Amino acid sequence: MQIILPDKSVRTLACTSAPIEEILLELGINPTTVIVVKNGKVVPEDVIATEGDEIRILRFSHGG
Amino acid sequence: MSRVPSAENLCFLCGEPAVARLVEPERRLCAAHFIEDVEARVLTALTREQMVAPGDRVAVGLSGGKDSTALLLVLHRLLPEFGADLVAVTIDEGIAGYREETLRAAEALTEELGVEHAFVTFADLFGDDLDGLLVGREAQGCAVCGVLRRRALAEGVKRVGATKLATGHNLDDEAQSVLMNVLRGDLPRLLQDTSTGQPGHFVPRLKPLAVLSEKEIVTYLLLRGYYRDLPECPYAGTALRSEVRTMLAGLEHRHPGTMVRLMRFRDGARRSTGPAASTGVLGTCRICGELTSGEVCRVCGLLGREG
Repeated sequence: MQIILPDKSVRTLACTSAPIEEILLELGINPTTVIVVKNGKVVPEDVIATEGDEIRILRFSHGG
Repeated sequence: MSRVPSAENLCFLCGEPAVARLVEPERRLCAAHFIEDVEARVLTALTREQMVAPGDRVAVGLSGGKDSTALLLVLHRLLPEFGADLVAVTIDEGIAGYREETLRAAEALTEELGVEHAFVTFADLFGDDLDGLLVGREAQGCAVCGVLRRRALAEGVKRVGATKLATGHNLDDEAQSVLMNVLRGDLPRLLQDTSTGQPGHFVPRLKPLAVLSEKEIVTYLLLRGYYRDLPECPYAGTALRSEVRTMLAGLEHRHPGTMVRLMRFRDGARRSTGPAASTGVLGTCRICGELTSGEVCRVCGLLGREG
């Protein structure tokens, strides 16, 4: 699966299936500070990502 | 705290794919029901705290950033139910390379919604823009801007004849402020309640989005098609707020509901001390005549005005 990080860099993970929350924590990202978009749809981070999925992680800027 | 992954991520109301999982009560919601849920919670807060009355003219402090954009969108839908009028006030602090884009976003939004919109600039009000006022003290940017922006918003409110001022402070902002006031030992600031206003000086200040987390607000904007990845203010964040933000985000993840419980603590403290505890004795600034607890207000002090 492909992970698009907040800085727009792309990382490919070899694992076949994992809860997105676990992936975030392994990347050092607190799930409460980001929005997860899986294959173009916003999802809660406890859904499972599988092989072939594209996971985009949006970190929202502060202020506003 | 690790949670059990979802086998079936479906909206509990309609069975469509869920976009969010919320707690207290635990529920999963699809895009349409998430938008409804967010607006219903703000409506409940407006009603429960009697924030708006028929005939009110509510000014939204619209920076053009995410929170104030969401606030204008939500109030644009909800205020007609209260028989209240909506107007936007934007403060142009004058921050080169940052403010232009957010100002354009603010203007485009009010044009689209057909909301009256007034602008107040630091240059007009204080004789210089923020960049100029901060020369030599850039590290104090947030503190200086906060004081001046509150004054500028009060001026904007007067110019548009508003009876209330609504700002986009969210649950994260408010919970961070509670913890910062505790860490600074600043009990008066913790107890200070601006929601009632000061007749002749400040209209009541409303924070309708304080029931929503920053994440919920961004999700709402994404789902309604209004999320824009705007630049962050170059003066953003004092050291303490930044540390508290990171700490609270960690606590909220491991112990969901931490931020809401902090707000309950603040509200309980305010109720148990009564309204007089926070303000102390207020007089008027000998230079500009605005309310202050000292002889000279913070705005005149920061601007180096001599009486």
